[in-house]
Amino acid sequence: MATVTPEMTTGKTTAMDYHSLNAMLNLYGPDGKIQFDKDREAANQYFLQHVNQNTVFFHSLKEKLDYLVENDYYEKEVLDQYSFEFIKSLMKRAYGYKFRFPTFLGALKYYTSYTLKTFDGKRYLERYEDRVVNVALALAEGSETLAEQIVDEVVNGRFQPATPTFLNAGKKQRGELVSCFLLRIEDNMESIGRSINSALQLSKRGGGVAFNLTNIREYGAPIKQIQNQSSGVIPVMKLFEDSFSYANQLGARQGAGAVYLQAHHPDIMRFLDTKRENADEKIRIKTLSLGVVVPDITFELAKKGEDMYLFSPYDVERVYGVPFSDISVTEKYHEMVDDSRISKTKINAREFFQTLAEIQFESGYPYVMFEDTVNRANPIDGRINMSNLCSEILQVNTPSTYDDNLDYESIGKDISCNLGSMNIALSMDSPDFGKTVETAIRTLTAVSDQSNIGSVPSIARGNSMSHAIGLGQMNLHGYLGRERIHYGSEEGLDFTNIYFYTVLFHALRASNLLAQEKGETFDGFERSKYASGEFFDKYTEQEWKPATARIQELFDTAEVAIPTQDDWRELKALVQEHGIYNQNLQAVPPTGSISYINNSTSSIHPIASKIEIRKEGKLGRVYYPAPFMTNDNLEYFQDAYEIGPDKIIDTYAAATQHVDQGLSLTLFFKDTATTRDINKAQISAWRKGIKTIYYVRLRQLALEGTEVDGCVSCML
Amino acid sequence: MDTRDTQAADAAFDELADASAVDPAQAREAVEADQAEAAEAFSEGAPQTEAQQRQHKHNHLVQAINWNRIEDDKDLEVWNRLVNNFWLPEKVPLSNDVQSWGTLTEAEKLLTMRVFTGLTLLDTIQGTVGAVSLIPDAITPHEEAVYTNIAFMESVHAKSYSSIFSTLASTKEIDEAFRWSQENVYLQRKAEIIIGYYEGDDPLKRKVASTLLESFMFYSGFYLPMYWSSRAKLTNTADLIRLIIRDEAVHGYYIGYKFQKGYEKLTAEKQAEIKDYTYSLLYELYENESKYTAELYDPVGLTEDVKKFLHYNANKALMNLGFEPLFPTTVTDVSPAILSSLSPNADENHDFFSGSGSSYVIGKAESTEDEDWDF
Repeated sequence: MATVTPEMTTGKTTAMDYHSLNAMLNLYGPDGKIQFDKDREAANQYFLQHVNQNTVFFHSLKEKLDYLVENDYYEKEVLDQYSFEFIKSLMKRAYGYKFRFPTFLGALKYYTSYTLKTFDGKRYLERYEDRVVNVALALAEGSETLAEQIVDEVVNGRFQPATPTFLNAGKKQRGELVSCFLLRIEDNMESIGRSINSALQLSKRGGGVAFNLTNIREYGAPIKQIQNQSSGVIPVMKLFEDSFSYANQLGARQGAGAVYLQAHHPDIMRFLDTKRENADEKIRIKTLSLGVVVPDITFELAKKGEDMYLFSPYDVERVYGVPFSDISVTEKYHEMVDDSRISKTKINAREFFQTLAEIQFESGYPYVMFEDTVNRANPIDGRINMSNLCSEILQVNTPSTYDDNLDYESIGKDISCNLGSMNIALSMDSPDFGKTVETAIRTLTAVSDQSNIGSVPSIARGNSMSHAIGLGQMNLHGYLGRERIHYGSEEGLDFTNIYFYTVLFHALRASNLLAQEKGETFDGFERSKYASGEFFDKYTEQEWKPATARIQELFDTAEVAIPTQDDWRELKALVQEHGIYNQNLQAVPPTGSISYINNSTSSIHPIASKIEIRKEGKLGRVYYPAPFMTNDNLEYFQDAYEIGPDKIIDTYAAATQHVDQGLSLTLFFKDTATTRDINKAQISAWRKGIKTIYYVRLRQLALEGTEVDGCVSCML
Repeated sequence: MDTRDTQAADAAFDELADASAVDPAQAREAVEADQAEAAEAFSEGAPQTEAQQRQHKHNHLVQAINWNRIEDDKDLEVWNRLVNNFWLPEKVPLSNDVQSWGTLTEAEKLLTMRVFTGLTLLDTIQGTVGAVSLIPDAITPHEEAVYTNIAFMESVHAKSYSSIFSTLASTKEIDEAFRWSQENVYLQRKAEIIIGYYEGDDPLKRKVASTLLESFMFYSGFYLPMYWSSRAKLTNTADLIRLIIRDEAVHGYYIGYKFQKGYEKLTAEKQAEIKDYTYSLLYELYENESKYTAELYDPVGLTEDVKKFLHYNANKALMNLGFEPLFPTTVTDVSPAILSSLSPNADENHDFFSGSGSSYVIGKAESTEDEDWDF
């Protein structure tokens, strides 16, 4: 897809150009204050100088829709589900809310990456409201009520579908609505070959793909019983890296992928070293993301200062009859140590953690998944052995087997997940909080129902069995700032706890409603902790209510009801009777692009900077002010580096207990931190029940005397 | 500045006293005499005879570098910063820019190639002649060590441009750009001026030349990648350039700082002379730089803005040397998009579809203790 970009200016312009106005946000004004007005002016100028001049004009809605359908821009089938009068009234409804982009980045991001453009990429065919209406029409599948509800929630900013859905829904030439895929690899060449193919196919369609490398036999393992034959996981990673950069989604962006490896895999240190600054070109991994799966036993061994044994996946599979990723290392550790049939090597456990932290310092990677925590919290029958590109998807999978010609002998179950996030601040303002959650769940479920990734049958099968979705949250810090509450304070944690508690209730209720309406549950419901009722114990046997007066007051004022134990008992009975439709319901993604469009702070993180510098391939360097921040409430907008890892971990721990999947948690450190500080944070996160750690980020400030004068993002 | 100076001198005395157990007062006199002599040599600027030079070298005791005895804290601070900032061009996924390169017009491509060849030439000088020529003038062994690091990184920079070329352009285009760099009078003139001073005899003048190079002359070239990245083009290349800028900011600052240390010791008369010299060299370079800029940027209409950027950085260079700015703020109002993108802080946010960013640093390793594992 070509992009609409202003050509190089060759003469002088009188009005200041919008890039410069936007950049002034990062420079203090003459009065020493942050120039928020310059950014609003930038957004305004962007429309005047660029958007309006480059938008195709139509005389009427009829003319517009006919044109878009005839010229293969809109999908006829979508529009045919509704009467023209209804579409017209829906448009009126959407435009009636008088939506405006509050920031330059929001507008720029929308017009550069989401809106429908002419095929030559030069002119815009949609405004924001048109996109929302088209998404609503596509996902409501003919239901006028749902279409109206989606328009209300999205235009008012309470719910925002994830990028692939918001970008693609309703367009004739489009990628998939789902963005996120997780695939297993088994220890044979057919499976590895299939994986490469899947990486190409899924990247082509716009997804981020994660692979589990844990089952692949290690460097030097035997092949056909001949010793020292295998080359281990590194060459496989190289193949993935090249596959992802080859498949670049119609040139829109590079494919992106992640690979996960069990900490007790013999190639673990080689795996980590691929991200070293001075790694040899042959083994250096530049764009592939890495994740490590860490079981509890590794922490126990490190605590005792002992060595940790690494086990050959090849032998483990032969001894136990199942792939390495399908056994619990913690449970079988001592048994495997004593089993002479399993070849093993050892490294010092504390040194392993230190190396992990060193690599995180240098590269931000790897992500970490705490395997046992994840599986203890999993209500679904089966085992979770990997996560995804943003470390928030945590679902069970099963292996596929292949014939020699790469056909499937048996199709296993792989994972896909479609996401969307609620804006916490605006949802708290919602006239009907429960309805907002329900509409979000219905929207996400529609995406799952409409998806069928035929190019990777194990994904298609997994989706049709599980109807898994991931409802996320964003703008926590923006909300807390608006209400003059410090992030990570007692009240901040109290709010997070009760908010996520309330969301969970409504999410389950909505999924239960869907199961009743459709007369269908996800596959395996009867073997889940929902069916046994065990899942509900902590809500029916314990009372959850705000611990502070301030938070009670916030919920009271917002008229958001906090579910009682009786509400839970009632819901439990309904769920046990009718089941729920979605195997998984919640996952809190890092929300990059969509939080700019939605004017939110990312996810439930603290802001990275008061004025964030955002760099993306399609946008260049753009500046973004923290939502709801003014020159009067700056003290509530401390950035993540000032706030430090402890409060972030506590906030995530409060949310995690009510989320069935994961939450992307980035740890932020000042450059005075050492690897020991990172290790301490990891230990604390693991102890407090955090499921995954996403990036580790470090901020290095300019050496005194070399900074740019008057720059907002340079100041502490 | 002053107190620091005294401290450094005190440290030097202590060291001497420790080593030889001579009377401290005597030692102090000896050092002061040495410094006076050195200062004289600095300021003299007169050509030394070969014999004198040999004599000088002979007198210079070879000292094992002791990082546990820092005479000037700045040396350690800058050394640590430079080491933490170490990077190699291979870490930046430049190939992600290939598509973006394809969207540039022929004129824009030509401009970009030429700008980068110009930068390569400057970094080549700085790596092979410039930073190396500063080493013999170093006052402390730690300062020498910092210069060797600077020299090495300059070579890394020079090589980085080649990485950009080989990723984006064809061999023919690359060869043509290098031929252009040999034939362009302004570029050659700028190299000539700087090399002239590096090869001269005055250590302070060498530092002036070096600071102007690091803090001023690179920037006519740095403008372009920053401009592209603010327009969402060649953003990974811009990341790499920002890593270079991050280094050059520290280099210019440090060399300027060392200049100030030497400058303070001069007589008022000598100071005036050096100051005069600095401004006249800046004028000379500026005049040449303006023409160079016009030749490069006129075809795309950016010359005026680049010149503002030059003014801004000329002031920055003077500031590093401890002198007053030359250009009034009315002509230094650089486009905010460029200015903001210069920030050497490592605090930008980027998505993983778009590259590595310019922010990560090499960390400090520290073992965990038993108490950390107390759970």
